[in-house]
Amino acid sequence: MTSKIVVVTSGKGGVGKTTTSASFATGLAMRGHKTCVIDFDVGLRNLDLIMGVERRVVYDLINVINDEIKLTQALIKDKQLDKLYILAASQTRDKDALKQDGVERVLNELKEMEFEFIICDSPAGIETGALMAMHYADEALVVTNPEVSSVRDSDRILGMLSSKTKRAIDGGEPVKEHLLITRYNPNRVEGGQMLSLDDIHEILRTPLIGVIPESEIVLQASNQGLPVIHMQGSDVSEAYKDVVARFLGEDKPMRFTEAVKASWFKRVFGAK
Amino acid sequence: MTDMTREGVGRKSASRTGTFELKSRRFSVLGLVLHSADMTELAADWAERAGVGGFEHEPVVIDLSAVPRAPAAAAEGQADLALDGPAPVDLRAIVELLRASQLQPVAVTGATPEELLLAQALGLADAADEPVPAAAPAEAVREVVREIVVEKIIEKPVPPTPTLVVDKPLRSGQRVYAKGGDLVVLALVNHGAEVIADGSVHVYAPLRGKAIAGARGDTAARIYAHSLEAELLAIAGIYRTTENPLPADVAGKPAQVLLDGEKLLMQPLAF
Repeated sequence: MTSKIVVVTSGKGGVGKTTTSASFATGLAMRGHKTCVIDFDVGLRNLDLIMGVERRVVYDLINVINDEIKLTQALIKDKQLDKLYILAASQTRDKDALKQDGVERVLNELKEMEFEFIICDSPAGIETGALMAMHYADEALVVTNPEVSSVRDSDRILGMLSSKTKRAIDGGEPVKEHLLITRYNPNRVEGGQMLSLDDIHEILRTPLIGVIPESEIVLQASNQGLPVIHMQGSDVSEAYKDVVARFLGEDKPMRFTEAVKASWFKRVFGAK
Repeated sequence: MTDMTREGVGRKSASRTGTFELKSRRFSVLGLVLHSADMTELAADWAERAGVGGFEHEPVVIDLSAVPRAPAAAAEGQADLALDGPAPVDLRAIVELLRASQLQPVAVTGATPEELLLAQALGLADAADEPVPAAAPAEAVREVVREIVVEKIIEKPVPPTPTLVVDKPLRSGQRVYAKGGDLVVLALVNHGAEVIADGSVHVYAPLRGKAIAGARGDTAARIYAHSLEAELLAIAGIYRTTENPLPADVAGKPAQVLLDGEKLLMQPLAF
């Protein structure tokens, strides 16, 4: 059995990396694939909050890297999905604790445990933490918001994926790159306040795996400690399910990318 | 000609028994030609035009032959007269300046005897390429240099100019430098990426980053782009940023950039 290591990265902070990591890993597990999601944001810790497991974190990634405990002791099993595991980050350490050989050993042990997908939630920036998260990746989800600085940072990260990762250094097959646009608001694109899908594609030229619409439900879900893909019936949940399906090789048309005209009722009486 | 080559081969095989060989080599090195001995003026100019660095610890020869000197000292060039001449160039400061920009000063040329003593104290060789009356030890070094030039002409009349080809996108933060030749890029060059060549730069895709041709002063170098959107264009040190937008007939279109005297010309390419 082969395992795939997927890094979720962006360069810029606050674009939705952790939200995406949580929902993407959950989506893969919902489809029956044994999946582990690792928080590489050592020192900050967000993934366990979004996954709703923060009270169950006893040991973390750094404990495993430092050989203080066994990997199985640090893996937290999701309450709803028995194929989903979470490896939390340490809040009391910094990124220098991420040693390359330690990271490699953890990933190899996860492969031996027959995880099909290992999702690495990268911290923002282009320093040690981000480099460690992407180093052993087979594929990458590059999360981008439809605005110039986020697109520019994604361009920088795409450059690093093609030059600084193990695959790039060994000269093998390059890391497979997928572009994921989050917080997309078609109405604001029409108004010229946001970059359009075409604008972003023209700059980055990376294959698009999905578009996640801007929605308040993302905040609601993270406050409840629930990956937003669990918010049944919401457009964000549907969009993430499409991303998972496309990642698994299915052909799905893009949704939620066209502007919706508010009805006359809403226009007269105000939205909501 | 033939005799010299054969002799060279013979010498090579005879010396193979030892642990090393002492052979003459010829390298192309950068030359820093100084037009002024005023350090303050020089440092300011350096910071403005070259201070960003980007050199890869390349060797450089400090050429003092163009520094303005008092006529008496230049004509006679004797050690005792040099004291009456102009203040010598502050080599120590220049060496520090170059090292700070990732350059490796290795030798001086056109130095006065006084400057030569300072150069030797700083570990720099004398790479004089014209006879300058100087101390005896420097004489021997000069002979070696002359001999190398002769060998070079016999063995390799035309040095090859390698072309560097890049087929992957160059993204923000990436830099490619084609040393000694042309650079061909077959994929996009995005904002924040840099493409640099000692010869010409060719980009068969949108060129949005910085393009620098003739990085070592080749004024015949050009920049070609399939879609000219560059944020900086430079040929042999003459540059323009897109603070002023590119002319409409070349912006986002196939175009070439060439140097006309001190001015960058941008011309649309029609096929």
